[in-house]
Formats: sequence, C-alpha cells, structure tokens
Amino acid sequence: MPSMDAISRNLMLDSLRDYAKRRLPYDFIRQHDADNEFPAEILKEMTDPAILGVHLLMIPTKYGGVSGGTYDIYRFCEALAHIDLGIATSVFATFLGTDPLNVGGTEEQKEKWLTRIAEERLLVAYAATEPDAGSDLVNLKTRAEHVVKNGKLTGYRLTGAKQWISNGGVADLYTVLALAPGGPCWFIVEREMEGFSPNKHEDKHGIRLSNTAGLSLDNVYVPVENLIGLEEGKGLLQAQAVFGYTRLMVAAFGLGAGLEAVEIAARYSQQRIQAGGPLSDKQGYTHKFLVPNIVRLEAARAYIEETANRLDSGEHGLQTEGAVAKYFATESGNKAAEDAIQALGGYGYTRDFPVEKIKRDVKITCIYEGTSEVLEMTIYRGRWQEHLKTRGRYYIDLADKMDALHADNAGVGAGAAALALRSLAAVLEECRVQKLTRHQHVTFKLGRLIAMVEAAYVFSQAAAQERYSESVRFDAQGWQAMARVFARDAALTIAAEGVALVLGSAEGAVNLSVDIAAAAASQKGLTADMDLVAVKLKQTFKAK
Amino acid sequence: MHLAVFIKQVPDTTEVKINPETGTLIRTGVPSIINPYDHFALQSALELKKKHGFKVTVISMGPPQAKSVVQLALALGADEGILLSDRAFAGSDTWATSYALSRAAKKAGKLDLILCGMQAIDGDTAQVGPGVAQQLGMAQVTFCEHIDLDGKKFIVKKLIDNGYEMVEVKPPALFTMIMPNDYAPKYPSFREIHAALAKPYQVWSAGDIGAEERYLGLKGSPTQVNKIYPPPLKGKAQMTHGSTHQAVEKLLEIMKEKHFIGE
Repeated sequence: MPSMDAISRNLMLDSLRDYAKRRLPYDFIRQHDADNEFPAEILKEMTDPAILGVHLLMIPTKYGGVSGGTYDIYRFCEALAHIDLGIATSVFATFLGTDPLNVGGTEEQKEKWLTRIAEERLLVAYAATEPDAGSDLVNLKTRAEHVVKNGKLTGYRLTGAKQWISNGGVADLYTVLALAPGGPCWFIVEREMEGFSPNKHEDKHGIRLSNTAGLSLDNVYVPVENLIGLEEGKGLLQAQAVFGYTRLMVAAFGLGAGLEAVEIAARYSQQRIQAGGPLSDKQGYTHKFLVPNIVRLEAARAYIEETANRLDSGEHGLQTEGAVAKYFATESGNKAAEDAIQALGGYGYTRDFPVEKIKRDVKITCIYEGTSEVLEMTIYRGRWQEHLKTRGRYYIDLADKMDALHADNAGVGAGAAALALRSLAAVLEECRVQKLTRHQHVTFKLGRLIAMVEAAYVFSQAAAQERYSESVRFDAQGWQAMARVFARDAALTIAAEGVALVLGSAEGAVNLSVDIAAAAASQKGLTADMDLVAVKLKQTFKAK
Repeated sequence: MHLAVFIKQVPDTTEVKINPETGTLIRTGVPSIINPYDHFALQSALELKKKHGFKVTVISMGPPQAKSVVQLALALGADEGILLSDRAFAGSDTWATSYALSRAAKKAGKLDLILCGMQAIDGDTAQVGPGVAQQLGMAQVTFCEHIDLDGKKFIVKKLIDNGYEMVEVKPPALFTMIMPNDYAPKYPSFREIHAALAKPYQVWSAGDIGAEERYLGLKGSPTQVNKIYPPPLKGKAQMTHGSTHQAVEKLLEIMKEKHFIGE
C-alpha cells in the first residue's frame, strides 16, 4: 500500500503521543514491567476505533481500516518504541498476525477477517516459531491433516506446539503455520476452538508488558475456509513475501528505543554538573556516549526510510534491504541503550530512570524476526550474489555514484563513503579469488561490513537532499556532519577489518587493493564534526 | 445556526529556544501545534454543535502547512475547513490579520457566532479576536470559559478578577475563550482523521476574500517589531514564610537592610 498523506500521518502520530502521555506515564509502565503484566485494557483502548484504532493502519480502507503504507508503519513503530517496546510488540504482533491474510487471503477471507479485526478490536498473534523451527522454518512440525466428509475436504486437524508467540496468551485470533499434505500453509485459528490452548506467560528479560506464550494444538479442527488463500503449500512464500516489510518494523523499534535512550542521556547531560560544568560540554562524555550513537541511529533512519519508500513505490521483496535495516538499526539501538546506562552513571543502573528498562527491552529486537546472526548471513548471501552477477561491479558502481555526489557536494561524507565501497568491493573480490567464504566466520563478518557500508552510502545520499523527510529533527548542518562522521567510520572500519578478515583467512599470497592510507586520511576533521554534532544534540534535546 | 472558529498553527513554545546573539527563534525540529486556546475554543464549538446542531466552520490563516490544524479540526468534528493562504498575508500584524479574517468571515456566509482562542501562545497579544469583532461590528465577550444557548441568546461565563461574570448576548457575537484549569484537549482517532479527508476544505487567497492588498502583510501592518529578546534573568528569589503580617514584617526588614527604603 502506498503511504498516506503527511498531514493525516502526523495527526495520527500526535493522537498516539497524546494517548501515551495521558495513559502511559512511566510509573504505570514501570509497575507493569516489575509485575510482568500485560496491560490488556490499554491494548483494548489503543485498538478501539473510537479512541485510537492503531491496528487500522494495517487494514485497507475498504475493510474499515486507514490503509497505512510502509513509511507510515515505520513512523508508528518508531513512535511506539519511544513509548514502550512491550506495548509496541503487542501492537506489532497484531500487524504481523494480519500479514498472512493481507498477502495470501482470498477476497472473501479478507472481507470477513479484516473487517472483524477492525471492528471487534481482535488482538491477533502470528504463530510460526516452534521449539525446533525458528528462522529455519523448514523443520516445521505442526501438522494439518485432512478431514474428509463424503469424499469432500471439509477441514483440517492441527496438532503441534508453537513457542514464543507474542500475544500468545491474550490474542483472540491466531494465524498458525502448519504443514498440510500439500506443504506448509497458514490457518486462522480462533481462541475458542477445541483443543487449542495457550501456555503460561513467559518471564522475560525485557518487553515484559508484552505477552509471550507457547501454544498447544491438540487435534484442533479448523474448517477448510480458514486455510489462508485456500491453497496448500504457499505458507513459506507468504511468510517470505513480507520479510522486507516486517523487518523494517522491527528496525524502527530498534531506532525508536535507541533514540529514546540517547534523548534521555542528552537531556540529563545538560543538567548534571561535574567538575565545574555540565557533562554535555565535555568531549570525554559526549563523544563517547552520545555522538557515535546518534550518528549510527540517524544513518539507520536514512536506510529505513529509503527502503520504506522503495516498498511503497511498488518494489517487491527487498529482503536484503530489510535485513540490513533491521540488523543495523537494532544493533545500533542496543548499543545506544547500553551506553545510555553508563551515561547516567548510578542513576542509569536504577529503575527510577527508564534507560535500564530500555536496555532490557531493546535486546529483543536483535533476536526476534530474525536474529542478528541470521541477518548477517542473509545480507551476505544477497549481496554475494550481486557481487558475482555483476562480476564485482556492484559496489564499484555505487562508489562511482558517491564520487559523483562528492564532486557535487563535498559536505556529506560521500568521498569517504566511496572509499568504503571500493574497499568492500576489493575485499569481496579477494574473498572470491581465495575462496574464503568457505569459512562461515568470513560470511557473517562480510554481512556486518556490508550493512555498515550500505548505510554510509544511503546516509550520504539522504544528507545531500535539499529537503529532509519529516522525521529528521536536525538541520542540514547537523545531519550532514553526522553523515560525514559515519562515512569516515565506515571507510576506516572496512579498510581495517576487511583487510584483517582477508589476511587472517587466506592461506596464499593476497592481492588486496584496499587504500588504507586514504581511509586514514579521510579522518581529517572528525573531531570538529563530532563537536558540531554534540552542539546539535544539545539544541535538539533540550534539558527539561 | 452557523458558527465559525478561528484557529492558528503555532510553534510549540515549550520547545522553542531563542538564539541569544540574533534574537531570533530556533525553529529547527520544533513541532507545530494548534494554539491551545483555539483547541479549547474548537471543543466548545463542537459541544454547541452536539447540543444544538450548529454548523461549524473552521478558518485559519497561515502558510500551506497550516492545513494541518484545519484537518485536525475537521477530524474532531468541524463541518468545513478554510485556510487563508497567500503571500500577501505574510508579515501581517494583529490589525492586518483581523482585517483578513473579518473578510473571510463575511465570505463564509451569515455567521451567528465566532469563537477564537483568547490569544496565541507565540505572540500573546490577545488582539485578533476583538479586532475581528470590531471590523465586523459584532458584540464581543472576551475571556470566556463556557457558552450555552438559551432560546435565541447566548449565556457566557466570563472570567473576571476574583470570579466569573455571566453575560447574555444576542447573536451575532464573537467570544474569545480562555482554558479552564482542568481541561484536557481531545485528539481524534485514526478513523476520524482519515474520514476528515473527505470533508469540504478550501484555500482562499487575498483575492478570494476581496481584501485590499494595502491593508495586508507588512505594509498593511501598523506594528513593526524591532527586536525580540528573552527577558533578562531575574536575581535570586527569597521566600518569606509565616502569616501575612509576619511576611510583611520580614519584607520590610529586608528592604531596609538593602537600603531600598529608609529606616
């Protein structure tokens, strides 16, 4: 779905923030976190079409929704993550649970179920994961057996166990992946169906406001009309089709939670006086805890937005991009939250300040919807194919574009980004020549490096735009300084770590054309740029 | 009856900082919001609509992005939205703004009531509402908190020193609204926001409202702003405690000590 008009989107975001301000003060969230309690009444209000109706974003207008596009959903996921990642996860689970219907449902199924989800505020859960099948869904064990009456297929009997299902214990409706005789497929299972029972609510490290439970399916009868798409064997394709999109949502969670942590630390640093002045004026503080994190998070934002806009303009799949977005944004969010605890010192370690909770919460974003390691592999695989297909031109072409951009605008880090891209192309090529990808370590590490370099490429491009998107809270001077800081980091990291990777794994002589001296030279001006970013942070996140 | 509400988009002043060197506002990253007094005026109008079936038209003046506050009003329940947007309006002071809004009010049809916020939180002048009433020759009541309809008269509750005054007014009239202490602004649901897209919305230029350009913008504005600057920081405050009598005694003592008054 294309995204909605900016005014409507921002009015909805205002309504969401106002709701959170009134109904979800930190004390409320903190208590539910301590009690490991799902705030059912809050979710019912948030999905009440007369109060908010946040679930309507995923539902097309003709079924009573408001037809949010990918960009819209990203903005809402980020906003939700600023509020509480547990509540965000609950909302997300309904989005995700609705996905198989949106992607694979027949017109009648959409009409029936999407309308009901919209009007009856049904909480939905997406039940794919099993004890032996996480990212590797091929090991799926839940079975769906045919029920035949008078020679006609009338339904299925589902038997199996699902694990770590968000909203598992509280949903009204479940989309369940099971293996039918014709292959894996999605079924709509209602909570009241006989033989279906949720297990206990898990005691988790974080996102404790979100209900997570296993599901038991013991010979549950599901009528044939609840088979999504009315065709067996399409389940994995339907699941894959939305990965680019769903991973973007989790990327936005990492971004929102990480930014909330940076914001708290940035505001705190202006009030905390040590050694005669506020911490916000001390490089030892800002350049360690704040600047590197805001820079990574804004790079992640640029990447998420570009991918969202591409999906909204009709491109399909974008699985590698979805993986880069999620991997990079959630790892950056996790690091930002970790640093925010240190930035608040003893206060950060207590539950009186929310950074400790954010740190526990945000960790899940590096795990669910594909762990960071699965994503490293996905990113490597996707781009390795491109490298081979283009005979090594893939990143060289992007580097040429960055050089052209640098000639046009020298202030957005495009020169350093070009260096990073050329180094990456050289590292990939030498890995091919030396057959180094037989080491799994090399492939995963390549995934990491690729994510960083692509983020630098996209960030420099975004920072060069005349007008920034509505989500950017910094002016051009600030955002461009961030793009320069990030591109330098990418240039140096890929040069140093890429070379180390190849030299460390190759057995014979290595012919690697990575310009380490140029990467080092590109660092000139780094501290001044970091100083500028620190000033912009202070202006944007003022002390309360 | 037909009721119009004048609303303004303003920067969220709780987020604005002033550049101490240039005296200008740092607007980057500062969200724009509906002026909170106007938000309350709108809610008062929508209550009248609910009770008495009034038609509610909202009118705003500003750059194209001010459409956002008009859409908010439509989502909350207003029937029609109008945005006055034209380069000719840019730089208008309270007089020129009152002139433009009164022209728009005339074009909007026969209005029985106009509601405005008491003032906008960016300029804090509280002059535009009374200015419009003057231009239109309407009765006006300022600082109102509540409006009711009794047959053909409005009964308004107006804040005065030490209490309230109840005022009876015959339409057409203009009221400026304060905000009650316990008031919480309402925000629309997602569905209401979506549905507002289908409501009538128009953008009017200076030509559309038949406004004379010499009365608009900077050149039509008698007020010239020389400089904006933050008020100088006050010195340290010292609180006195005890009964009024004791506090006054203490105050006198301090003033004598500092030689503000003689012995």
